[in-house]
Amino acid sequence: MEKNLAGDSIPRPKWRKVAYGGMQIGYDDNYTDESFLEEMVMNANVVRRDLLKVMKDSVSISQYICIVALVVLVWVHTLESSLDENSLLLLDLSLLASGFLILLLTEEKMLSLSLLLRYIVNISFFTTGLYILAPIYQTLTRSISSDSIWAVTVSLLLLHLFLHDYSGSTIRAPGAFNTPNLTSCISVNASIVASVFVASRLPSRLHVFAVMLFSLQVFLFAPLVTYCIKKFSFGLHLLFSFALMGLTLYSIYALHRLFFLVFLLLVLLVNVVCPYWLIRMQEYKFEINGPWDEAKLCFDITD
Amino acid sequence: MAEPPKLRVLMVSDFFFPNFGGVENHIYYLSQCLLKLGHKVVVMTHAYGNRSGVRYMTGGLKVYYVPWRPFVMQTTFPTVYGTLPIVRTILRREKITVVHGHQAFSTLCHEALMHARTMGYKVVFTDHSLYGFADVGSIHMNKVLQFSLADIDQAICVSHTSKENTVLRSGLSPGKVFMIPNAVDTAMFKPASVRPSTDIITIVVISRLVYRKGADLLVEVIPEVCRLYPNVRFIVGGDGPKHVRLEEMREKHSLQDRVEMLGAVPHSRVRSVLVTGHIFLNSSLTEAFCIAILEAASCGLLTVSTRVGGVPEVLPDDMVVLAEPDPDDMVRAIEKAISILPSINPEEMHNRMKKLYSWQDVAKRTEIVYDRALKCSNRNLLERLSRFLSCGAWAGKLFCMVMILDYLLWRLLQLLQPDEDIEEAPDIRLCHHRGVEVAKGLMEEDKVRN
Repeated sequence: MEKNLAGDSIPRPKWRKVAYGGMQIGYDDNYTDESFLEEMVMNANVVRRDLLKVMKDSVSISQYICIVALVVLVWVHTLESSLDENSLLLLDLSLLASGFLILLLTEEKMLSLSLLLRYIVNISFFTTGLYILAPIYQTLTRSISSDSIWAVTVSLLLLHLFLHDYSGSTIRAPGAFNTPNLTSCISVNASIVASVFVASRLPSRLHVFAVMLFSLQVFLFAPLVTYCIKKFSFGLHLLFSFALMGLTLYSIYALHRLFFLVFLLLVLLVNVVCPYWLIRMQEYKFEINGPWDEAKLCFDITD
Repeated sequence: MAEPPKLRVLMVSDFFFPNFGGVENHIYYLSQCLLKLGHKVVVMTHAYGNRSGVRYMTGGLKVYYVPWRPFVMQTTFPTVYGTLPIVRTILRREKITVVHGHQAFSTLCHEALMHARTMGYKVVFTDHSLYGFADVGSIHMNKVLQFSLADIDQAICVSHTSKENTVLRSGLSPGKVFMIPNAVDTAMFKPASVRPSTDIITIVVISRLVYRKGADLLVEVIPEVCRLYPNVRFIVGGDGPKHVRLEEMREKHSLQDRVEMLGAVPHSRVRSVLVTGHIFLNSSLTEAFCIAILEAASCGLLTVSTRVGGVPEVLPDDMVVLAEPDPDDMVRAIEKAISILPSINPEEMHNRMKKLYSWQDVAKRTEIVYDRALKCSNRNLLERLSRFLSCGAWAGKLFCMVMILDYLLWRLLQLLQPDEDIEEAPDIRLCHHRGVEVAKGLMEEDKVRN
């Protein structure tokens, strides 16, 4: 090796990030250059969340929990015979009418008469079918003990709440296309089965019909109605949610003190504690991207 | 008189002959070159169908096909401690000094490395693939890798991008990771003696037709290129789930006479397919190191590839045209390739490849890694446990428990079957004496005993 006057050897060639040509002269195979991990990008796609916005968004979740709690309250009152079938039927009709009204008022484009007529025809088919099938539901679980029914109903409702699609609605107004995913289908089915189980414990056929109609109305159409309200005006959505929360808390208080406390804690957990926890955990987010990532196709694969 | 082998290496992986692929080829060629350098190499893998037990391959390469059933994608069912007895037996019988595991996806490799470390052997690991960080499968795989590599002596990666990826995934210090690329058997992949005429330009694609290898990009690119250049035809070799989409594409654009689908091409026939073409197209979405490109370049084809993973490092800029994994950019790259095609000389490309890549060079560099591994200090159980604790709050303690149990099981095995009772296998070295192969090992052993 030739040495120049300063006593240093010939400088080795610059290291190149290549794999060919064998071992690079002057560098070991485990040489780590300064450009190591130069192309790594951290937390590129992470959404920075704001506490107030997260709390406002969590209102949708507590609103839906209140709706489900109200349904359970109606079930409890019906089973205790404090709500008779006529008032139930009245409740059903008024809910149907108010739901329709809200849809009409909040839909941006005017619903044509033919569409309205089609809705009414569908609803009447639905109601008639339910009335005809009511005797079947009534005798469905006659041989099963009440305890099993309550246990299954509670677990199905919990499953329904857990898997529910809180971001939108599985049933949309015509024109909007949204493919429901597996979990939202499971949650809808769970709620329907829970309603059938509860309805089968009731004394008369009219009772069964009224409760089934009520439950199915709420579980199938409430997400659509709340979605329309939210789309129309966020302030109205907040007002509606707080009104629902107030109504639910009052009704549960009239029923049982302990449940009231539990429900209040649940609402506080969902609205206050969980958003704060989410924001705190965001600091630990560590997303790594770099040249080793699998390339994403920029076009849709249409089969 | 042959001197005793300098190193005694055990290669462990789920992926070996009779399966064909990058890892399998790598292990085979590396073992052959190490044997020629005078070391002893033994391979351990799982049984393939009826192929179970001990087999000898070319050059005296001993392969143990351990009778464990593969359960998903050719990997053995993970039993954590089930492989301890057989690994111990093999390590003692063959008097192994270094254990070399291949491929992060191979459960047999991880288990063997764990047992080898428990028993105090030196361990080297080679990672052949790139993995992500975000999905559930990758997160678990990376945790397993962290466990495996927490206590390793040296690691090897096949490209610089792969080194960055492995260091991030496993938390290893970069100084422990060596970059030794794969190579290609240039003697097998020779260009055609007569170059096919360039009146009709033939573009060859040989890959598995799966999403990962960019089959969807092919579906977009092929019709566009056929439309722009009437004198271009495609040959597509390989099979997979996306085969149907390619057939549909042929039907839709009436390209039956311009796109030829060969189906699955066995490895021995790959060269004969490559030499019929002028350009090789690789559209994969992720590659740690693409051996297919080397094979094509060795046969004198100009390569067009997507710029993903380690591909930009593999070939010099004048032998490959890179494109983003986007159909328009790939079409532009193919146009550029067609325009520079007249200046390409396949023989010259082949000769250059002989100098750029050779398995002998890979073996020599791997030898250096083995020597470094052997120089690493021995650590006792307590020192090793402290390395596992840093893997995570819960995971660290779990890993420590796993290793302690492994150690206890090893001691139990030593009680039940002492080390001295395991019979050591004689070294059978095949040597050429005027073209006649004579097994000298047995005769030497007899002389020593008598």
